[in-house]
Amino acid sequence: MDFELSQDHKVLQSSVRDFVEKEIKPIAIQIDEAHHIPEQLVLKMREMGLLGSYLPEAYGGAGLDILSYAIVVEEVSKACGSSGVLISAHTSLACDPIYQFGTEEQKKKHLPPLVTGEKIGSFLLTEPEAGSDVAGLATTYQKDGENYVINGNKIFVTNGGYRGTGILFASMDRSLKHKGISAFIVDLESEGVELLRNENKLGIRGSYTTAFALDNLRVPTENLLGSEGQGFKIAMETLNGGRIGIGAQALGIAEGAFERALAYSKERKQFGHPISELQAIQFKLADMYTRIETSKLIVYRSAWLKENKKPYAAESAMCKLHASETATYVTNEAIQIHGGYGYVTEYEVERMYRDAKITEIYEGTSEVQRLIISRALLS
Amino acid sequence: MKMLVCIKQVPDMESRFRVNSEGIWYDEQDLAFRMNEYDEYAVEQAIRVKEQLGGAADITILSIGPDRVVEAIKKGLAMGSDRGVHIKDEHLYQKDPWQVASVIAAFARGKNFDLVFTGLQSQDRGSAQVGVIVAELLGYACATTLVGFELSGEVVTARRELEGGIRGIVKFKLPAVVTCQLGLNNPRYPTLPNIMKAKQKELLAFPIMGFLSEESATATERMYPPEKKGRGLVLEGDINETADKLVSILKEKTTVLR
Repeated sequence: MDFELSQDHKVLQSSVRDFVEKEIKPIAIQIDEAHHIPEQLVLKMREMGLLGSYLPEAYGGAGLDILSYAIVVEEVSKACGSSGVLISAHTSLACDPIYQFGTEEQKKKHLPPLVTGEKIGSFLLTEPEAGSDVAGLATTYQKDGENYVINGNKIFVTNGGYRGTGILFASMDRSLKHKGISAFIVDLESEGVELLRNENKLGIRGSYTTAFALDNLRVPTENLLGSEGQGFKIAMETLNGGRIGIGAQALGIAEGAFERALAYSKERKQFGHPISELQAIQFKLADMYTRIETSKLIVYRSAWLKENKKPYAAESAMCKLHASETATYVTNEAIQIHGGYGYVTEYEVERMYRDAKITEIYEGTSEVQRLIISRALLS
Repeated sequence: MKMLVCIKQVPDMESRFRVNSEGIWYDEQDLAFRMNEYDEYAVEQAIRVKEQLGGAADITILSIGPDRVVEAIKKGLAMGSDRGVHIKDEHLYQKDPWQVASVIAAFARGKNFDLVFTGLQSQDRGSAQVGVIVAELLGYACATTLVGFELSGEVVTARRELEGGIRGIVKFKLPAVVTCQLGLNNPRYPTLPNIMKAKQKELLAFPIMGFLSEESATATERMYPPEKKGRGLVLEGDINETADKLVSILKEKTTVLR
């Protein structure tokens, strides 16, 4: 048993950390305020290879492991939760299902433009009436010669605004419930895909959260991912992996807020002493750090389990549950330690607090995670 | 074109330093280490020469120290160097610049390196001696404090940073040792694919005993944090007078208003 990162992982960690310090941290406030990640930054993240971390070199990826991917998302999220989820949703929710379930032809065609970031990936599952209840999808498809014709609505599509490559879920027959769902690889610039809006949100405001209407969208039959009726399984397995990414994002947000709170507590003087000398602040720091460290252990362990092809569904649910609740707790306390300054944009912890909340919601709410964990215990 | 880049791994300079139990160095416990910043410029410059010359150029990265320095070597490999050399030494901090330079020269002798790059100084010891001693021991030309570097055939044209904002241009023939100043270039980030490729690159390890034959020329007697001086100068009183006073201080004691 070894709890040390390998030297290769440390090289990766410090390289990404340097990149984030220079390229992302200085503009994180601007990204939040502009509701947009500058194209120039997306380009730099592509050049760094952040969008293809664990995908094999044969498809244009870096060929690293899942732990490397978690470290990338963590380090980026320390400075900017929006940039973190861009990488996470892209990698876990679009690249991964193609890699896991795609044919060799599909992988060769769709992965290279994704892992190099020429296309940004997204996942079109949620609908106005179907969130946690995936089997209730109302988007339907019919076969028409060499095409599938898809109609319906999709909402809360992370990265949707880039109109890159989407993994889209639709039902052949709603009465079949989850057995009727299939997955498709979709070019979101296609005719029949209407971008309705990018949502205005509490946090991760630099990340696109997009609503689409699908009106007779024609998808070639070769873009069916897996087999017909396999969509529910693809969605669930994809989300299992995605939770490692969101756990890493939540971990990074928590660490970013903690670093600031710790530094501030040593600088800020009240009653003639740094507030870090007050036990009320010391205990907060101790609680925050304890939760961060336990989150890190379970995020890294989930990544290790997936990498080693061991069952990881319950662990990834626990890592996402624990890290996301840690993120909202730690960012909240970070504001409290900053006092009034914590409420001010310039000090950044207010943004991290807003960014943290979504990690308890997307890719399965905390309630769904508890359901998954308890089912694993009791089945 | 054979190039050698000598790098050191140093603590993150934002660390809190404590003197170790021997009283001659800092306590390494709980410190995070990274490549000496000056050496990053050295690695980058070597890679630029390689890019300029194409396939015929070859870069060896060398570092002396305990196992942790392999991280810095791997970063150099991921930036684009060809092979790493780790000279293993658990007690590097006890060696003076003369010994360190002698070890590097002992490694490099007979290997026909055309160019040796290193940082101007290390961020932890800061002696700025190792590069120049290596040049002397190998009988190479040497230029220090480089902020500009151009190679044309066998001739290097280097821009040096001098005190008071002055620059100097020096020309010299290979083989040569150059020490690199901050701002020489813009060191690249190792990309993820290059971090992966670096895992396949040759990494040789040698015990230091094979290269160490010199006694130290200087010995550190004591390392200590300086006594805390009194607080800084506080100007008080009428705002116009204090403003005038501030301007005159800035004029007399700094270059800000010259």
